[in-house]
Amino acid sequence: MADYDDQFIAGFMDDYFAECDEHLAALRELLLKLEGSVGTGRADARVLEELFLCFHSVKGISGMVELREAELLAHEMESYLRALRQREISVSQGGVDALIAGVEALEQVIKARRDHRMIPSIGGIVGRLNAAISGADSSGAAVSPSPEGGAPEWLVTFVPSMDLNARGVTVDTARGLLRARGTILHASPRILDTGIAFEFGFAGNLDAETLAAWAPDGLSASPLRSAHDTGQSGASAPGAANDVAEEGPHASLSSASHYVRVDLDKLDELMRMIADLVISRARLSDTLGRLEPRVPAADWRAVHENNATIERQLRLLREGIVRVRLVPVGEIFRRMTFVVRDLTRDSGAKVKLLLQGQGTEIDKYLIERMMDPILHLVRNAVSHAFETPPERLAAGKLEEGTLTLSAATVGDSVVIDIVDDGRGIDAEEVVRRARLAGVAIPDGPLDPATLLDLICAPGFSTRDETDRGSGRGVGMSVVKSTVQQLNGSMRLDSERGRGTRFSIELPLTLSITEALIAIVGDSTFAVPQAAIREVVEIQAEELRQLQHHEVVPYRGGTLPIVRLSRLFGLPDTPRPRMHALVVGTGLDAVGVAVDRVAGQREIVVRTTADAAIKVEGIAGATDLGDGRVVLILNMVSLARAARMGATGWSGAARHARSA
Amino acid sequence: MKEKFILFTVAGTTYGLRASDVRHVEMVEQITGVPNAAHFVDGVVFSRGEVIPALNLRARFGFDRIPNNLHTRLLVVHSEGRSVGLIVDSAREFVEIAAGDIQPPNRALDGAGGGHIQGTATLETAARETRLILVLDLRGVLNFTESISAA
Repeated sequence: MADYDDQFIAGFMDDYFAECDEHLAALRELLLKLEGSVGTGRADARVLEELFLCFHSVKGISGMVELREAELLAHEMESYLRALRQREISVSQGGVDALIAGVEALEQVIKARRDHRMIPSIGGIVGRLNAAISGADSSGAAVSPSPEGGAPEWLVTFVPSMDLNARGVTVDTARGLLRARGTILHASPRILDTGIAFEFGFAGNLDAETLAAWAPDGLSASPLRSAHDTGQSGASAPGAANDVAEEGPHASLSSASHYVRVDLDKLDELMRMIADLVISRARLSDTLGRLEPRVPAADWRAVHENNATIERQLRLLREGIVRVRLVPVGEIFRRMTFVVRDLTRDSGAKVKLLLQGQGTEIDKYLIERMMDPILHLVRNAVSHAFETPPERLAAGKLEEGTLTLSAATVGDSVVIDIVDDGRGIDAEEVVRRARLAGVAIPDGPLDPATLLDLICAPGFSTRDETDRGSGRGVGMSVVKSTVQQLNGSMRLDSERGRGTRFSIELPLTLSITEALIAIVGDSTFAVPQAAIREVVEIQAEELRQLQHHEVVPYRGGTLPIVRLSRLFGLPDTPRPRMHALVVGTGLDAVGVAVDRVAGQREIVVRTTADAAIKVEGIAGATDLGDGRVVLILNMVSLARAARMGATGWSGAARHARSA
Repeated sequence: MKEKFILFTVAGTTYGLRASDVRHVEMVEQITGVPNAAHFVDGVVFSRGEVIPALNLRARFGFDRIPNNLHTRLLVVHSEGRSVGLIVDSAREFVEIAAGDIQPPNRALDGAGGGHIQGTATLETAARETRLILVLDLRGVLNFTESISAA
């Protein structure tokens, strides 16, 4: 957990450093331009504007990573520029010098953070910038003492809390209160045993009345030095001994970041271009195939080899882009720790969250879409999955429940598991409620897939009342449909008294995958290869009717066969032999029969999310290069239909349509 | 205030759709059937790199289908984040209709269209004849979860 936090923060900070590098580079260039304009009386308004925006951005992102010194420096320089802009005065050499010193200090603060060194004090620079601002305020007086120059200094501490937060009192409120009474010299967060606190170095006049008024807002202050002392310290600002200036003006940012920030849209565009290339190449292969009989064998070999080389290189190119888009799944796992913390604080439940495999990488788009479903499953688990502590102890379990979030890469997919050691799902209760809602369920034990379907039905809830933790029973159906839209699948494993496991399997990336091309009558379908265990040829005379199923002998046992033509209501012509696409293993294995498998190729997956074309058994669509759309089969859904036999969803669907 | 409308015909009736709702109009080419989809969904088509459903408005309005011909058009419309193709008998005209000229639909008319009419507009032709246009309620036409379960 601990080293994971570090890893997460490190990744986050890399982004921050990369962004700062861009801003600092821009700032240096802008300051050079500004310096060139000193004395001409005409500072370029555009330069000032750009400087202002740069400082504003640095201030914002520094605040987000809680690098308060950088935030404060950027704030002061932003304020100076605002003062210049508002008073329409030209910038003085002293002002430019202060800005240059300020940007240097900013660089050093950021660099110190990057190198994990002590952050240099910035009091001197801040004082100088303050002086520049007041100089600007008094319309160009050379150097005047800062407005709070003679004011006493305080160490003000703000301790945020849930209560304060609920009242809208945050660290920004504290800043506002302080700014109204004087100047914030520096600010930094401090980790306490009980949480976090913010310390402000503050110059201004505070009386007992003000302090008393601040107390309910979590603010307390202790005097650092009196007005008299500061008066004596004169122009040299506090903390000068440890000042950045000591490091010299030429300390550079040697450890430059190696990251480039890329807009996801640009990667999408690249991916689209590669997808087009994949289709063009497939088309080329088709054309070449037709030419083969007419080309001399020796020439053909050269053409064929070149084509194969292009195919390989194209695959490498695609894999490269896919890798660029991958981000560690831990990014959202990490957020779940906060969710669990919040929920358990509210409910008093005792739940420990374990994270595993946070380094597992998955496509950025997929993980963003999965955020809400995972959030929902985690909330559900914390709110409902666990027994009360006495019940747990009585059942011989640890008082504290364990919720495990894990991720792992399996072949071309990523499997995300949400596992609790709670009470397990009460299948009988689920069935009772489903029947009350008018769902027909045969007697006998429920298989996990059907149970999952029931709890994912829109509107299903095992609770009579909704609560903050779980939402209103729309959640599971959204989880299921999101997973399906992403061409993933979900499994449920639950045992009374032992716990529940939700397994979500997602493709590593959307868009391009290997597929088999299957033909049924006049229709062509694409079948993601990863979903199929094997393709077997079956002879019509081997088919036997067994209750509602057709079966064929398979590996010493039997394999239930479901014909795609029947599931999809396509013309069914008798054939001496067919191909069966085998899904699942062992006792779960089923075969989906098609007329024949006509080859294998890379396909570009496009989702068919629109309600009008969202049907069972179809995962998406693709373009085989001739402008025609070919549907991609959802083998998980088809296999489920196959297990249900002739009464599968298609039978029900067709019945509903003819009624 | 005048708005631009695209006029199209389905089974002899002229309908209007706000031009702002129509992305483009295409000839109908390859349509791939989607098994077990609603009866008025002819299938899916590729339109500018996207796979979108193709709704047959004849079937949607309860008329018999006719084979696609040279006049058949696919109106690709955009509504509430969705892109959907509407197959119509023809689409050739572009007119401006003032908001005030659109009247609420006569109940009987709306009943015939199955609640897919937003209003009626009367246009005067160059030959001083009047034409009746039914303004389509796009959201109603595209929102068919109810009609599927009721079918």
